Amino acid sequence: MPAAGLPIDTTIEIVTPENITFHYQLAGPFRRLPAYVIDVCLQALLLVGVALLAAALAIGIGAASWAIWLLAQFLLSWFYGGLCEAYWNGQTPGKRLMGIRVLAANGRPVNAYQAVLRNILRVVDTGPLISAEVLGGPPVPLIPTFAIGLVAMACNRRFQRLGDLVTHTIVVVEDRPWLPGMAPIEDPRAVELAEYLPPDLRVSRSMARALSHYAERRRFLSPARRREIARHLAQPLLTRFDLPDNTSYDLLLCAMYHRLFIADHGDVAP
Amino acid sequence: MKVATLLERRQASWLELDRLSSQAVRRMDAPQAARLAELYRSACADLALADAYQLPPGTVQYLHQLVGRAHNQLYRSRRFDVAAWGRTLLHDVPARIRHDRCIQVVFVLFWTTFLGAAALAHRRAGWAEEILPPAMLQSLEENFKEPLRDRDPAVNYAMAAFYIRHNTGIGLRCFAWGLLIIPGVREVVFNALVLGAAFGYMARPDVPESANFFNFVTAHGPFELTAIVLAAGAGLRLGMGWVRTGGLTRAASLQRTAADTMPMMGAAMLMFLLAALIEGFLSPTALPYALKAGVAILSTAMLLFYILILGSPRRA
Repeated sequence: MPAAGLPIDTTIEIVTPENITFHYQLAGPFRRLPAYVIDVCLQALLLVGVALLAAALAIGIGAASWAIWLLAQFLLSWFYGGLCEAYWNGQTPGKRLMGIRVLAANGRPVNAYQAVLRNILRVVDTGPLISAEVLGGPPVPLIPTFAIGLVAMACNRRFQRLGDLVTHTIVVVEDRPWLPGMAPIEDPRAVELAEYLPPDLRVSRSMARALSHYAERRRFLSPARRREIARHLAQPLLTRFDLPDNTSYDLLLCAMYHRLFIADHGDVAP
Repeated sequence: MKVATLLERRQASWLELDRLSSQAVRRMDAPQAARLAELYRSACADLALADAYQLPPGTVQYLHQLVGRAHNQLYRSRRFDVAAWGRTLLHDVPARIRHDRCIQVVFVLFWTTFLGAAALAHRRAGWAEEILPPAMLQSLEENFKEPLRDRDPAVNYAMAAFYIRHNTGIGLRCFAWGLLIIPGVREVVFNALVLGAAFGYMARPDVPESANFFNFVTAHGPFELTAIVLAAGAGLRLGMGWVRTGGLTRAASLQRTAADTMPMMGAAMLMFLLAALIEGFLSPTALPYALKAGVAILSTAMLLFYILILGSPRRA
């Protein structure tokens, strides 16, 4: 449940049995739809495979090979997702390719009952169906609109479709993470300027966070934009440190970043 | 300690954890699995102290993702608990079916619609033709023109599979749409109307295929019709989770009802399976009608035993 202090964002907090809180990014419709499309294509491929197999078997067992094809159709259309998610830890092949995973809403893994039920209820979420007549087909409701699922997803904070609401599951993004290093300070003047900062420099946590945010982002910004953004923090600091007014704002923040995060002396207030 | 130094020290173990989380735990040997757990715990500790260490936001986000991935490797989905199914099916489900108002409501709704449609189709000439698509009536008459004869047994397998797919599909759809109540009720009424009209039409004295038709439908009727009522009733129960919350939030009430309805749907699917087997292998044969009627009576008795006797309240 979203606590008061949580950012307005598509993340949820999970408390692990190790008593650690960590964040997951929720997967929205635009990540889940491609996964679903991949799964549908895969099902179609599997059905083609079964059809070939049944055709080959038809030589031996005759009309009974239809049974294989019909049963495969039934099982794939109703239980493909449920079985994949139950046996593959909350993922179908499509979900794995898109880097998403189904979890129970409390962050635990899904159990088989949740996996199967949420996939049976997909019929409702992909509805209401539109008749194929609009595309010149027979008057049979065939085309899924996904409207019910989308409305349900829009109505709650966790992007749950009806099947997810009923089984208390969520879909989260599980990308392979990439470790960003420290922001490089290539300007030697920043290192020089760091020497002029007071030796007992200590900053608050929020200041430290702001500095590292800035240092990581500044390479994407133009010099004018850097100056504009850095000014708010740098101007009062220049007065506090008794530095000349014409010091570059950007340079000052880089120097502080270097001093606090990289250089070997100075410390951060706890 | 400076953040840069800290990152340098911890980086190796984070990367190792990242590498280990890409492998399936089941295929690891014991030291590797233990190492994964150890690395995961230390990454958890790093994340917990991230604020105190003043780690840069990018690194904190990296840690969140890393810990999330490893968490999903260590805590895995539970498979089907097949051992518990027997008890659920023989004990919990019949008791629930017997006392479930929703199933009773759907039972009454289905059978009144069915009998009403059958009576109308029987009495009023032309009514069934209005309700049922002409193609369906034609194929009904076509199929039952000849007396039932034994056919190639291979066809029986194919037809049994067809009935499993088709009828269980209808049941599952009734169940799923029950979540929104109105479409579920619509589905029940529609199916009852079509079935009732077909039965009533075929029972008309001026329809010559009547005997063959009833010879065909008798044996599997009890299981199939009960299964539809059960599936739709379970769906309606699920939908009532929105409405009657019993003091819970709507979502929590839905989740609680869902856990109850899923085994009922499982029982309905079993009945569909039995019905399909009978329909595929017994109904179309030229065996004497008395035998088929016997199967119908036996299956009705089994259903009554299941719901009334197994479902009666007893001491735990």
